[in-house]
Amino acid sequence: MEDDLISKKQLLDLTGISYGQLYRWKRKQLIPEEWFIRKSTFTGQETFFPKEMILSRIHNIVNMKEGLSLDEMADKLSDKASFEKVSVTAKEILERNIVSTITLRKFGKSLGDESIYTFEGLVHLFAVDRLLSAGEMSMEEAELLFRTLEEKVSRLESGSWELFFVRKMGVSSFILAQAPAELWFDEGVRLVSKMTYADLIEQLKGKLAYKLVE
Amino acid sequence: MDKHQLPDLIINGVSGGAGGTYNNVNMDGVGKVVGPIVARMFKGNGHMNLNDDLAAEEAECNGVIKVMGNMRFGTLKVGGVLNVGKSFRGESCTLNGMVSVKGDCELEDFVGEGSFSVGGLLSAGHVDFKLQSQGKANEIGVESLVIRQVNNGFWSKMFSGIIPKLRPELCARTIEGDFIDVEYTTADIIRGNIVIIGPGCTLGRVEYREQITVHPEAKVGKVEKVGE
Repeated sequence: MEDDLISKKQLLDLTGISYGQLYRWKRKQLIPEEWFIRKSTFTGQETFFPKEMILSRIHNIVNMKEGLSLDEMADKLSDKASFEKVSVTAKEILERNIVSTITLRKFGKSLGDESIYTFEGLVHLFAVDRLLSAGEMSMEEAELLFRTLEEKVSRLESGSWELFFVRKMGVSSFILAQAPAELWFDEGVRLVSKMTYADLIEQLKGKLAYKLVE
Repeated sequence: MDKHQLPDLIINGVSGGAGGTYNNVNMDGVGKVVGPIVARMFKGNGHMNLNDDLAAEEAECNGVIKVMGNMRFGTLKVGGVLNVGKSFRGESCTLNGMVSVKGDCELEDFVGEGSFSVGGLLSAGHVDFKLQSQGKANEIGVESLVIRQVNNGFWSKMFSGIIPKLRPELCARTIEGDFIDVEYTTADIIRGNIVIIGPGCTLGRVEYREQITVHPEAKVGKVEKVGE
């Protein structure tokens, strides 16, 4: 859990933004209140953020800034609906490097229309691609994962999920759970990877932000 | 807002009213409103109790006004005492008197004279404040913060010795911002890009990125340059 968090000081050093900007974005609801996590440290109380989410969100804000006012941006970033309407062609996916060619070739077609992808479909491709390109998963496992996502995600209520990829004695399996989930495994199980839907869409939003600015 | 004409709520003398969506709300005297109010223009004079939320594009509060719920506004002018039970959010607030907020306070511009107390986070674009008695916030996060003490006369000096709450100073746990210029401030930590510490400050720790000035009469525990 500790690795997933970043302190405010580290964040500012890493991204080069200032305190004023951070608070301003928070006021404009560009950064959700829940991401400000208070913890006590030896220097007093410090604020921490979920690392991957805040970094990609700040990246999104900085990149969108030129075309939009802060208020417009807040609407767009918090409005999931506008992203759900986004559809992307296969050509764009490859050009923008959203999903690798191999993943797209292999799984793209099963999503129906070959050339146009919806946001939801893209999330699944993106998830598969992330594990594949990290070299954590074989092609067969990728197929299993993709099938699982396609069939099972729609059954989860809130649409927010977490995925656990585990291996025990060489046998791999995927566990899909309603977020936020905490799972405990027996000693023989190795947690290869954990993905959350919120992380995925945040990163995907960054890659698709250009669609909304146009 | 809707095209059709919205009703007005007018209270004169000792009376009460119900919440709802109004065009103008004018309250003079002593009044009480049950239920949330949404108004284009809100004016309160005298002693008012609103036991729910208040949202107004333009608001003016004179006298003693109490809002038990959240308060949202475009511009607000306060002359007198305003109490807010939950959060306080708006574009600009001009204060001449006292504001006390139990929850968070989010403003773009906060200027004025008098005192304030914020239970949670005071987050603002620009704060330019002259303290006549205590200013208090749990945390402060701003783009620019300028705090000055009003030259106080003999009587207030004498009272402030007896009642600490009347001592004109700013108290906060942490203050973070791009530009911070304070005097008579007590805080655990100040973090900023450009920090100017004036007389009468008692600070545990100051972290700065670019520039710092410390008045010889200020008590500062530790100064540290961070970043780079």
